[in-house]
Amino acid sequence: MVNSVLKVEDLKIEIKLDEGMLTPVRGVSFEVRENETLGLVGESGCGKSLTCKAILGINDKKCKTTGKINFSKDGSEINLLEMKKDSAEIRSIRGKNISMIFQEPMSSFSPLYTIGNQMSEVILLHMTKDKKKAKELAIEALRRVGIANPEKRYNQYPHEFSGGMLQRVLIAMALVCNPNLLIADEPTTALDVTIQAQIIELMKQLQKEYRMAILYITHDLGTVAQICDRVAVMYLGKIVEIGTVHEIFKDPKHPYTKGLLGSVHKIGGNNERLFSIEGTVPLAMNLKDRCSFYDRCVFRDENKCNRPEPCLKEVGKEHSVACWLYESNEPHEKEGI
Amino acid sequence: MDKWRYIAKRLVLSLFTLLMITFVVFFVIQLPPGDFVDTLVESMVAQGERVTEQEIIQLKAMYGVDRPFIVQYLDWLSGILTGDWGVSYFYNKSVISIIGETLWPTIMISLITLFITYAISIPVAIYTAKHQYQLSDYIFTFLGFVGMAVPHFLLAILLMYLSFKWFGTPLMGLFPEGGIVSWASFLEFLKRLIIPVIVISLSGTCGLIRSIRAQMLDEQERPYVLCTRARGVSEKKLTYKYQMRAVLNPIVAGLGPMIAGIFNGSTITAIVLMLPTQGPVLLKALRAQDVYLSGGILMISAILVVVGTLISDLLLAVLDPRVKYIEESK
Repeated sequence: MVNSVLKVEDLKIEIKLDEGMLTPVRGVSFEVRENETLGLVGESGCGKSLTCKAILGINDKKCKTTGKINFSKDGSEINLLEMKKDSAEIRSIRGKNISMIFQEPMSSFSPLYTIGNQMSEVILLHMTKDKKKAKELAIEALRRVGIANPEKRYNQYPHEFSGGMLQRVLIAMALVCNPNLLIADEPTTALDVTIQAQIIELMKQLQKEYRMAILYITHDLGTVAQICDRVAVMYLGKIVEIGTVHEIFKDPKHPYTKGLLGSVHKIGGNNERLFSIEGTVPLAMNLKDRCSFYDRCVFRDENKCNRPEPCLKEVGKEHSVACWLYESNEPHEKEGI
Repeated sequence: MDKWRYIAKRLVLSLFTLLMITFVVFFVIQLPPGDFVDTLVESMVAQGERVTEQEIIQLKAMYGVDRPFIVQYLDWLSGILTGDWGVSYFYNKSVISIIGETLWPTIMISLITLFITYAISIPVAIYTAKHQYQLSDYIFTFLGFVGMAVPHFLLAILLMYLSFKWFGTPLMGLFPEGGIVSWASFLEFLKRLIIPVIVISLSGTCGLIRSIRAQMLDEQERPYVLCTRARGVSEKKLTYKYQMRAVLNPIVAGLGPMIAGIFNGSTITAIVLMLPTQGPVLLKALRAQDVYLSGGILMISAILVVVGTLISDLLLAVLDPRVKYIEESK
C-alpha cells in the first residue's frame, strides 16, 4: 500500500455574495499518494484552483472553507484546515512541505527584486539562516532545472527572463526545500507548446529525483496524458469521475468526461468537427437538487437522472464515477461519442 | 557607465526643458494687453498727473518695452544665463535681490510641507489599505475628503481665529520680529510654522492618502502576492518588503508635480497668513506687469520643479530595475 501524502475529505468552499451563497466547491474528496501525479481536470470555474489554494490556506478571506485537508508530515497526519490563517504553523508548511507553482510565471515574481533575492528568501525562511549557503542552494537549484549560467542569472530581475525560463525558475524555487507535495496550477497554460513539453519533461524528471507527489491542475487533457498517473475530473465543484489515466482515457464513464475527451483533437483522427459540450458551466448558486450536469448531458435519462446528485461509485479497480446512469451496475447501452 | 549616461541624458533633457520654459514664460507674461509703462501711466493719471504722448514714448524707450518681443526675450534670456535677471520696475530693485529675500522661506516651507505630507500620508494610507472597509478606514476616508474639499484660505482664517482664541496671539507671519536670534525666538518661529504647514500640506496629504491606499489595494491583488504568500512569507514582510516597495514608485514619480503644487498652490494662503514667500510677490508683479520680476520668479519655480522631476527620475531609476531596462532597450 502506497502512503498518501494528502487526503482531502469533503472539502466545501462557500463565498457569501450580495446575491446569495456561492458554492464553488461542493464536497470534494481525493488523495494524492507518494511519488504519484494526480491530475485535477475541469473547465474554467469548476473550482479546481480554489481547491488547491484551500490546501495552502491562501484563498481570499471571503471563502468559507469546511471539510478536512489531512497532510502527512513526518509520519503524522495534520489537518491543515484547522490551522489559523497566516499562523507561523501554516507558514512553515507553505513552501517547505507543500510548494505551489502558478499559471503565469511572468506575474509570479515581484518585478522589483532579483530572482536570487526572492529565491534565497524562501531558503532562508525554511532551510538555513546562512545567507551564503542559501545563495549556493539557490544557484544549485537553478542549475538543476536547466538554467544556463545560474551565477549570473541569480542576480537578474524577472523581466530579464523569458516565460519558459521563469517557469523553470519557479519550479526551482518550489523544489528547493524538497517538498513532499508540489501543487502545479496550470503551470504550462501561459507557455508555448514546445516550452510546455520541456516543462512537463522537467517536472517528470524532477519528480523521479525528489520522489514527491504532484497535484497537477489543468484543463488541458493533452498534458494530463503526459504527466499524470491518476486523474480526477471536476465539474461544478464536485469530482464526477476519478481513475487512472489509462482507465479514464480508454474507458471514460461520465458523460462529462466523454465530452471533454471528445473535444480534444487527435493526430491521425478523421477531420470531423470536434465535439463540444453544449452550454456553459452554470453559476454555483441556487442549484436545483438534481444531477448538476443534467442540463448539458447528452445521455440524460429523464427517469433516471432527475434525482438528487449522485455520489462517486466504484465502477472498476481505481475507477469511480458519479453518475446515475451507472447506478444499476449493468453497463449502459449508449456508448461512444 | 550606463548609470552616468542615464544621468547625463536626464540633465541635458532638463536643461532643454528649462530653455523651452524661458520662452513660454516670457511669452505668457507679455500676453496681457499693455505693458509696465501703461500701468505706470495709468496710476500717474489716477493721481492727477498729466502725461503727454511724448513722455510716454520716452518712458517706453527708457524701460525698453518698445522693442520687438523677440529682442526683449533674447535680451532677458542672455541676462538670465549670465546672472543679470534685470531690475524690477515696481520695486526698483534688482530681481535677484527681491527673489533672494523670499526664496529661502519659500523653499523651507515647501520642504517642510513636503516632508510632513509624506510622513503622514504613507503610514495612514498603509493603515487604511490594511483595514479596508472597516470603521477606521471609513473615518480616514471621510476626513480625507473633507481635507481635500476645504479651501486653503478658509482653513487658514479658521486656524488663525482659533489660535487667537486659545493662545491670545494670531500666529501670523513667519519670522518673529528681530529674526531668529535666540532659543525663544526659534521656538516662536516653530510655533508660527504650524498653521502654514497644516494649511498648505492638508490637501496634498489627503490626496496622497487616497492614491497610495488605492495602489496598496491594487498591489494586494497582484498574482505575485499570492505566490509569495504560498512560499510561506509572512504578511508583514509582504506588506513592507513587497507592496510598500511597489507603491514607492508612484510616490517618487509624483515628487515633481508635488513640489509644483506646493509652490504654486500656496499663494492665497501666504497672503492670508502674511507669509514672506514668493506667491504674494509674484501676484503683485504680475498685476503691475513687472515683466522681469514675474519672469524671474516664474523661472525660479520652474527650475525647482524641473530639479524635483530630475531627482524623482533619478530616484526612480535606482528604485525600479525596469526603468533601466527600458532605457537600455531604446
